[in-house]
Amino acid sequence: MNLLAQPETGGQKSQAELLYQAQLRTQRHFKTNVAITWFILLVSLVLLFSGPIKVNSQFIQDNMLFIAGGLGQTLQISLLSILLAITLALLAALGRLSKFPPVYALSTFYVSLIRGTPLYLQIMFFFLAMPQISPFWAKLPGLWAGVLALGLNYGAYMSETFRAGIASVGKGQREAAIALGMTPGQTMRRIVLPQALRFAIPPMGNDFISMTKDSALVAATGFVHEVMWRAVKVGRAQFHSLEALIMAAIFYWVMTLVLTSIQSRIENRLSKGDR
Amino acid sequence: MTAIVKISSLDKYFGRLQVLKNISLEIQPREVVCLIGRSGSGKSTLLRCINFLEEPSHGTIEVDGIKVEGGEKGKAHRQLVHDVRLKTGMVFQEFNLFPHMSVLDNVIEGPVTVKGMDRHQAITLAEENLDSVGMLFKRDEYPNRLSGGQKQRIAIARALTMQPRVMLFDEPTSALDPELIGEVLNVMKKVAKDGMTMLVVTHEMGFARDVADRVIVMSEGELIEDSNPQDLFNNPSDPRTKALIDRYRTGEK
Repeated sequence: MNLLAQPETGGQKSQAELLYQAQLRTQRHFKTNVAITWFILLVSLVLLFSGPIKVNSQFIQDNMLFIAGGLGQTLQISLLSILLAITLALLAALGRLSKFPPVYALSTFYVSLIRGTPLYLQIMFFFLAMPQISPFWAKLPGLWAGVLALGLNYGAYMSETFRAGIASVGKGQREAAIALGMTPGQTMRRIVLPQALRFAIPPMGNDFISMTKDSALVAATGFVHEVMWRAVKVGRAQFHSLEALIMAAIFYWVMTLVLTSIQSRIENRLSKGDR
Repeated sequence: MTAIVKISSLDKYFGRLQVLKNISLEIQPREVVCLIGRSGSGKSTLLRCINFLEEPSHGTIEVDGIKVEGGEKGKAHRQLVHDVRLKTGMVFQEFNLFPHMSVLDNVIEGPVTVKGMDRHQAITLAEENLDSVGMLFKRDEYPNRLSGGQKQRIAIARALTMQPRVMLFDEPTSALDPELIGEVLNVMKKVAKDGMTMLVVTHEMGFARDVADRVIVMSEGELIEDSNPQDLFNNPSDPRTKALIDRYRTGEK
């Protein structure tokens, strides 16, 4: 078009620039409206619980710190479980690549068994059923039984993420490593896994965030005094479960928001450098 | 003079399809050999058999005195294959630089990890080679921020830093934008001038004509012509060669 061929004069902006600015305006407009609606929803929720539905503020004041005291345990379980899960997921993903049938079978068997049964059942199994097998399990602290169950469960799901990560590394990368004379082990350690892990970091962040909430299931056993256990305990004792669970919900929600923002910061840093 | 690469009676099957048919070939030290042919003629497969990226079905490969029988298994065989890979450097069509490593780390990875070379020594060597391909100024950059031509020059430096006896090039300019081909071909000319033995699978007839000592034509898994570039381009003996060259001629114009 003729317009494009014209040299740009001082105050005039090119058509592309104008279009881009219009797009930016629309985007900003949309974001503002979303933020306003969020705010309205939040305020109406607060109003709902201070007017039509009466909550006992004295109870909230008295028990806030007690329930918040469980946050440490919640984070502790989640961190320990995710570390176990990452280890298991890596082993299971590598097992899936093995050409040795027993190793391949072990890996698929583990993933199938765990994915085929409810997480709640698995947690109960470690608390209630394992002690029947051996007194060792009865002596195991509740925290560790919870970590074992959550770690095993998440490990099975995360192995798929790792497998996809390993598959995302192109054949050419392996060939280049082999042509340099690397052994299969060196190729995996130096070339494939570093790239696969980078691919797997964002989903791993999501898994950790859902882990913090699934850790609430461990409360059902009564031996780990994390947020959920504390909320249920004081709520039932004083017949104020409404307030107790609302508090727990807020704690989980805030924790999720904080973790999500940390995660997006990590992702930004990863994507900025070399991909 | 003894050949540095010696291929005898090489067969390669993919399933039931025979892609290399009883190939025998010798390459002398410091020779630059171009391998041309239509796609599917088996030229890349032949190149990849030399460093066992493809395992030959039958026949022997000998590189700088290391003789490997194709189609064998076991620890001794793997050791021989490893030794051959240390004698050969390979440059791929798609560059295959490691994206998670800086340029320098890409180049020293082989010497340090595979040969156990001292890091400082490897860096000195890597910088020399990066300098000779004109890429030293990007030593701390990451591959994804570079052009295809720059990546390929670094890939050449990476292969050279392993100090191979033979360099294998698998269509090194086929994935490049036309304006970037020249810089890579110039680096290859320089490598040839420095006395490296080179086997180059290529569609660049100009390079074959100007730089190669010998040009080999492949068709349907066989070597159909093997001569110096002047003879080959001016009076090809095989009609298939003539057809191939004519195709490139019309393509060039």
